Amino acid sequence: MSVLALPAQPVQGAAPALRPVPWQRMIWVTWRQHRGMLTSVTAVLAAVSLFLLIAGLKVHHDYTALVNCRTACGAMNQSFNNIDWTMGNTILILMNLAPALLGIFTGPAVLARELETGTFRYAWTQGIGRLRWTIAKLVLLAAVITVLAWAFSQLFAWFFDPFLGFEGMNVLAKTVFDTRGVDFAAWTLVAFAIGAFLGMLIRRIIPAMAATLGVYLALDLLAWLVLRQDYPVAIDTTNASLFSGPNTPDSPWILKTWTVGNTDWWRYIPVSRFWPMQFIEASWLLILAVALGAATVWLVRRRAA
Amino acid sequence: MTIDKGDSPIEFRLDPSSGVPTYLQLVQQVEHALRLGYLKPGDQLPKVRDVVAALTINPNTVLKAYKELEIKGLAAGRPGQGTFVQATLSQITLPELGGLRRSMLGWLTEANETGLDEDGIVALFTSVLRDFFKGRQGARGQGGTGRGPVGGNETEGVA
Amino acid sequence: MNVIETTGLGKCYGKAWALRDFTLAVPEGSLAALVGPNGAGKSTLMNMAVGLTVPTAGTVTVLGGMATGSPAALDDIAFMAQDAPVYKNLSVADMLHLTRNLNRRFDSSAAASRLADLGIPLKKKTGKLSGGQQAQVALTMALARRPRLLILDEPLSALDPLARQDFMATVMTAMTDDGVSVVLSSHALAELERVADYLVVLGGGELRLAGEVDDLLAEHQVLTGPAADADRLAGQFSAVQVKRAGAQAHLLVSDGGPDRAVPPGWESHPVGLEELVLAYLRPAGGGARPAGGGMSSAVLPGSRTELTEVSK
Repeated sequence: MSVLALPAQPVQGAAPALRPVPWQRMIWVTWRQHRGMLTSVTAVLAAVSLFLLIAGLKVHHDYTALVNCRTACGAMNQSFNNIDWTMGNTILILMNLAPALLGIFTGPAVLARELETGTFRYAWTQGIGRLRWTIAKLVLLAAVITVLAWAFSQLFAWFFDPFLGFEGMNVLAKTVFDTRGVDFAAWTLVAFAIGAFLGMLIRRIIPAMAATLGVYLALDLLAWLVLRQDYPVAIDTTNASLFSGPNTPDSPWILKTWTVGNTDWWRYIPVSRFWPMQFIEASWLLILAVALGAATVWLVRRRAA
Repeated sequence: MTIDKGDSPIEFRLDPSSGVPTYLQLVQQVEHALRLGYLKPGDQLPKVRDVVAALTINPNTVLKAYKELEIKGLAAGRPGQGTFVQATLSQITLPELGGLRRSMLGWLTEANETGLDEDGIVALFTSVLRDFFKGRQGARGQGGTGRGPVGGNETEGVA
Repeated sequence: MNVIETTGLGKCYGKAWALRDFTLAVPEGSLAALVGPNGAGKSTLMNMAVGLTVPTAGTVTVLGGMATGSPAALDDIAFMAQDAPVYKNLSVADMLHLTRNLNRRFDSSAAASRLADLGIPLKKKTGKLSGGQQAQVALTMALARRPRLLILDEPLSALDPLARQDFMATVMTAMTDDGVSVVLSSHALAELERVADYLVVLGGGELRLAGEVDDLLAEHQVLTGPAADADRLAGQFSAVQVKRAGAQAHLLVSDGGPDRAVPPGWESHPVGLEELVLAYLRPAGGGARPAGGGMSSAVLPGSRTELTEVSK
């Protein structure tokens, strides 16, 4: 009885509506929604980069002077140690924390905010569908953050180089290794992935941030204490003479020593294995990040209102 | 928000407390306007869209009212243009009205003498009135207000 | 075509069933009102219809058999959740742009002109708008997608009377112009009578009543008469609700209708929508409330199930 013919003709027929919403649309969406986060991160990195640039020039200059010094080098040495090195060391510590910080301030907010504020009820009922929406966002943000992290770590590596010689630090030492090459970018990517996943799992931003920090640190520790011992780049040897020279940045990096019968064994990584080691670590971090991303998408798919 | 009144001479209003279904109120208002001369054959009834926007009622309700008027032969829809008045209501002639008036006075006198006061008479009358038209509607089948058509397209009404 | 069709639909959260054994068919081209107390299952039903939740039991399809949450369904259904969530730090213009990017079909010019008519500035952040304006922005975006079905979860609850009027006028106009079907939930029973032509009453996760409003109102009536006769008559008429005092009783009956003769000594009155809904919302088999000089009421068991209607 109810439906009578309506006089006005609806617009319905006009749209073909068979092509799916193109992926490119998500570029503007991701940018506009996360503009604040992206510009903050970029601004902070830019500011620190500027500092590293200026400070780095000074450090390089001071170090060159120190190296070329012939007489009365004690004062110069002292000055370099107190001023340049203190600053350099501080920044090194911060740099080691940076992937975690970048991860916790970018990852959880992506999804947890939508769930907290209820805007997912808007976002996930639009034509594009929640899966494309999620995948596009995660991929775009991860890419931008990873690239920024990589560029930043290159600048830092340049900044820190003089200190390697000054302190006799090895590039394979954890605190240095993590901040250069592709490793820094890979750890940042994983931190973001952990953050996004936990954000979706826990559904609240602040707890997710805390959890991300915890998980990241645990993973970091695991990699350092356990995994790095067993990368297929290490060499076992009984040749003690390799380790007799002074500590230079190019010295072999000792992982552990043990004794069998009367012989002492060393397991070490030669500096030449730096890049293979970088790629091994970056690879498994990348795989882990992708797996976390897939898990995040799976959670989005599953999640009930 | 100003409402574009369109080309219709009349405008509807709703009485939510009257107990009369909305679509019926619209039908009655059209019939009332016809009797009083606000509407003449050829005039356009308010556009569905305008009614809906002004009164915030369901468009199906307006359509139902217009359909009812079509069934009664009072209006006809022109596709793409709207609904237009087609006929008018025959007036009851004065002598007929006078006769009804007299028989009503007779009944009222009887009711009053039995002891019903004004409110009692109104209650009784309303109840019987409703039953009367409900019965007619039931006899006729679904839809409509139960007033059977008399003759061609014309319907009786009390002026 | 039915815009929403469910069969034995159920949703369980942990141990509690938010919706149970729900079978319903909402016809196209109508405005269906979901009414019921908080927690009755209205939001659950709507969330399932738009694909935000999946059923635990039973099935639900939309727009003539489409799977909920599928790309085709997402395309043709626009949803406005409670409190009209929008991104509060984005401007109105940004929200329009956003919605345009996320959908295949979007009428930007209609949306912009509609907002101009309403006097809502495009540059303003949506978080700074009033509740009524936010609701209108959300509605404008939803309608600009040119959906075939519009689902609104308690759209009026945060709005003042004028804002409600404007909001519903927009919805009604969209129904007229574009043939949009509408499903909305609301507590405002008095206003629903004007706008709803299909009614769904939910209580405690169950369907209490469903059907075309005109049919439901025509088929129910209140019989008023001597209290002594009330029980006998209630059984005979399968009364939905009995209210009795010392001498007088009111029975709300469902198979009254114009053809059923009113018993002698009893009067018949038509039922309003609000009265009807409230009668069906009272829990089944509830005992009489203490009289204390007032009226007591009870719903007779078994009366609910007969009155569940499904549109053909």
